Amino acid sequence: MNLLLRGAAIAAVLHITPVVVLVKRPDAVQTLLPGADSYFARDVHLSDPDAHRLHELVDWSPEDGVLTFFGGRAGATIVGALTFVRVDTPHGPIEVAVGFTPQGAVRGVIVTKATVEMKPWVLEAVGAGLVERYRGLKPGDEPGGAAALDGHAGKLAVYIAGEVDKGVARGLAAYWTFYVVRNAGA
Amino acid sequence: MLYDLGHADLRIKWLVTCLLATLGISYVFGALMVSLYAGFTPGRVAATYAGRAMSMPMPPETTMVMEHPMSMEEFVKPEVHEVDTDLLIQDTHVHVPMYGVIAAALSLVVVGLSLSQGWALALITLLFAAPWLDFAGMWLTKFVSGRFATVTLIGGWAMGLGYVVVTALAIHQMWFRRRGVVR
Repeated sequence: MNLLLRGAAIAAVLHITPVVVLVKRPDAVQTLLPGADSYFARDVHLSDPDAHRLHELVDWSPEDGVLTFFGGRAGATIVGALTFVRVDTPHGPIEVAVGFTPQGAVRGVIVTKATVEMKPWVLEAVGAGLVERYRGLKPGDEPGGAAALDGHAGKLAVYIAGEVDKGVARGLAAYWTFYVVRNAGA
Repeated sequence: MLYDLGHADLRIKWLVTCLLATLGISYVFGALMVSLYAGFTPGRVAATYAGRAMSMPMPPETTMVMEHPMSMEEFVKPEVHEVDTDLLIQDTHVHVPMYGVIAAALSLVVVGLSLSQGWALALITLLFAAPWLDFAGMWLTKFVSGRFATVTLIGGWAMGLGYVVVTALAIHQMWFRRRGVVR
């Protein structure tokens, strides 16, 4: 019985805690697409070669092979686009919203979801100025949130910054490979 | 039989009672979590596990782009919590061992009850089969048909039923009956 109870305790520790919403999607959309009065969603169903190409770039494939971008317009003017990227960690998933200006630079980054366990790490990282580090990034730039926080925040905040870095890198690669290129080609 | 909860030492009875109470709390919150993230209807379970994989199961030959207008109300709508294949692998890896440990703990309680061998075997089978059905339903829903969401629901309810039956019998035999049935 003792062995079983120990096993149950270990299993409980390993159990993934539920995801909590840190910032609601509508709020993230309004922040990252300021001034937009109409929106559209663009689903990009990746072929195998394109999915492979993205995987080679950032070691990641989107859920079910579909990238979804949300664009905003103010009248007829495009104000930007954003995508929500999920990053799976050993502590459960986080979701990062990455917004882009019409010129394709990162306008802003918002961590929208995390698990109960990771929430305080995210809040500490954001409080230490994590998301400001991503503004203005362009393709080829390396997101350096974790490196910037190292020594200025706790180890777990730095760890989570590394996971947010992955989300931003994925968002950048996806946006420039499958949104901007297709816009230019259209 | 030496191991008989009806005649067990007070400390053993208390241990089993605490174990069942603790599992009961976790089951109640497990049910609340299911209601938050998956739901109790076949439709909601299918939406959680089948997701977009059911609508486009194979990658297209060339990358396809579909665009449609969005209103802010659509962003406000509650999101369906989707479990994709990667997350289901992780969930299965994490949950199935834990469910096995819980089923084993409850089965050890069953072994200590005054029950016929047939009933004891049936209960133990129920305790282990319930999580198998639960996860088999999730995988079948994802890769075969959304109709298998019912299997997940049956598995979930069977887990609850197994716990309630074992707990009711154990509490009755340990604390409210002076003599057990002779097997």
